[in-house]
Amino acid sequence: MADAKVPFWRRLAEAAGLTDGQLSSGIPMTPGAPPTPPSPSPASPPPSAAGPAPAAARPAPSPRAATSAAPPAQADDESLASGPGGEALLELWFARAEDDLVAWRQCLPGPSAAEIGTRLSLVPKTFLDDDVAVLRLAEHILEPEYGAAPDTSADRHAREILAVVDQARATGSSAARRAAALVLWLWASDDLHGPLSVPLRPVLRDRAMAAMAFRLAAVVDPAEWVSDAVHRDEAARTFLFWSGHLPAGEDEAAARSLLSMRDSLLQNAALAQTLADHEHRLEVTRRLQAARAREAAARYSHE
Amino acid sequence: MSDRADNVVTAPAVADPDDPLALAEYAPGGAVALTDAERWPTLDTAGAERLRRVRHHPLAPAWVHQTGDRLSADAVHRVQQPLPLPGWLDEHLATARRLPAYRRQADRLRDLASWPTLTRDDLLDDISAFVPLDADLGRLIEGSSSGTTGRALQIPDDVEEVARTFHLLVRLVTEQGIDWQPDPDRMALAYVVHQRQAFTYTSSISSFGQATMARLNLHPSQWPHAGQRTGFLLAQQPQVITGNPTSLAELLQPELVAGLRPLALFSGAMALSLPLRRDLEQAYACPVIDVYGLHETRPIAASVDGGPFVILDRRLHVEVLDDAGTPVPAGERGEITVTAGENPLLPLVRYRTGDFGRLVHVAGRPALADLEGREATRFVAPAGTLVPCVDLTQHLQAGGARGWSVHQAADGAVAATVVGGDSGQIRAALEQLLSRPVAVTAVATLLELGEGKPRRYRSDAPGVL
Repeated sequence: MADAKVPFWRRLAEAAGLTDGQLSSGIPMTPGAPPTPPSPSPASPPPSAAGPAPAAARPAPSPRAATSAAPPAQADDESLASGPGGEALLELWFARAEDDLVAWRQCLPGPSAAEIGTRLSLVPKTFLDDDVAVLRLAEHILEPEYGAAPDTSADRHAREILAVVDQARATGSSAARRAAALVLWLWASDDLHGPLSVPLRPVLRDRAMAAMAFRLAAVVDPAEWVSDAVHRDEAARTFLFWSGHLPAGEDEAAARSLLSMRDSLLQNAALAQTLADHEHRLEVTRRLQAARAREAAARYSHE
Repeated sequence: MSDRADNVVTAPAVADPDDPLALAEYAPGGAVALTDAERWPTLDTAGAERLRRVRHHPLAPAWVHQTGDRLSADAVHRVQQPLPLPGWLDEHLATARRLPAYRRQADRLRDLASWPTLTRDDLLDDISAFVPLDADLGRLIEGSSSGTTGRALQIPDDVEEVARTFHLLVRLVTEQGIDWQPDPDRMALAYVVHQRQAFTYTSSISSFGQATMARLNLHPSQWPHAGQRTGFLLAQQPQVITGNPTSLAELLQPELVAGLRPLALFSGAMALSLPLRRDLEQAYACPVIDVYGLHETRPIAASVDGGPFVILDRRLHVEVLDDAGTPVPAGERGEITVTAGENPLLPLVRYRTGDFGRLVHVAGRPALADLEGREATRFVAPAGTLVPCVDLTQHLQAGGARGWSVHQAADGAVAATVVGGDSGQIRAALEQLLSRPVAVTAVATLLELGEGKPRRYRSDAPGVL
């Protein structure tokens, strides 16, 4: 834990509105701000990563190395409104092999979807800027909570989150970056608006970040999470689900039904096949594991 | 029918604490999960009684496993007939075009020659991409294959296709002019292995008069009492015995030759040498049928006389290709590549087997000659004990190795090169198995095992052939 908690608005002022490119060229930090690296993590993919991600892409390694010397990422000098399409973001999500059946079983009661939706609608405009320095923002927001106790569980969780944020940044996708910024807002907005009615589970934050930045941002522009009531509800429910929560007042069946009804990915014909492939992969894997545990069948000869 | 078939209660799966080589999955009951009613949904009272008599025979081994064929009444009828062949390849390719693995290039895939070849590594990377999206996964059972490089591959097998394989054996026996019918006084089939640890079980063959079968481990360690192994086999008098060269060689024990009367013997998995074939034929005066196949493709070809393997008349298309994937001229050596349509859960197109041979014709039927790639390697311990390579495979896999090459020199020294896994654990297990020091070298990639197909095992020690 830092000796003195850095006020949220100071962290925001330092981070939001600055491009990663500016940061990498040495924008002076506000006096008193925690030291931050002048360049993105070496764990970041090279500039070519701004193109479609490989199917086997994995989350970047721990951003611990962010404090070491590294070549600056060039992807962020490009137009941030551009970047990979939804399918490339989805590949990053699918590479995590998150199992929604398992995720539903992990869910605990949380805040209501409306409560999260309200927080989304209160997001400061700077969070949705194309050039928000999202990795810097994440480091600032997470540092007071985790930064002072290296190699603890909390510290590892923070680094996992930073790895996902760095991955979102490195895609060059404006949608992924703004999605990550919105999630950071949801975590940090307690400073301004008070705590949520039910605290969010800290251990699944990296998963929630990935779900929003790679899964939802692939099909719905994060600006619509704020401006459009239906997508705001979808974003709130998606966020709660992958954070490991059922919306307050809903059981699993109701929550699944409502999220399924809202889920833009399910309704996107172009991406539906990709999603079907992913779910098929999970199902075959599940069946093979279950069949292995369940017993083989009699065989009659060497094969 | 659990009340009638008399479930055997077995201990939970715990590896023998006194045996440093014991693997937990081979502990009795280690993978038992079903009831008898699920194992044999149609089992009647007489069938259950036959099964009970085998299970509880006073000379029966300690069964490691329980398993059935899981066939419903409808399935019992279906599996007795081969799948129809007319038009199968076109249907097969249409199915394969819809697989996730090919969807993005489906427009370019027309006749078979336009398809890319496929390797075991492709299946290892993502087996689900080769499983149809509309497959009935309720029929899935899991099979695993150690294969060429030894890295275990989980294969989605179809429960009916596995059962249909039995009737392929029946047909091959019938083609030899032998009438193989269920005999309530005899076990229909004994599937014998000879290795230190193995799954053993007995089952009822629902589609063959509910006759019994058993998977038996002939290794002496599994038969603690004098005469137990011979006594049990003679009591069951199996009509047909299947195995590999290592286990079939055990059948040449004089007391077994004197008492067993099999209708036919089947060999698989490894090359059957001509001397062993002749010895078995002379000992039992019955056909010895060598079947070539891979778990991924199912049986491909069979040899009844030690000559070329005639390609089976089923949903198979066999090519022999060069390194670039081009068919070699007729009769020339190349890699055997199979399009396999028997398993609806894994429709393979141009699957490179890693085995090599020549495509020839025998009596107008395509056949594979000079088949390479199924070495039946054995290693020798200082005391002269022979250790089959499958015993090494189990421990190399348990140690996490993805590939390996194990060589025993003429002076008996053993050296292993492994890719991945825990070298220390592997060395300890191999040294225990072979009762001699084993030099283990770790390398990073399969390529470092050598070009082409890794010859996983080779023994130049005297006395291993």
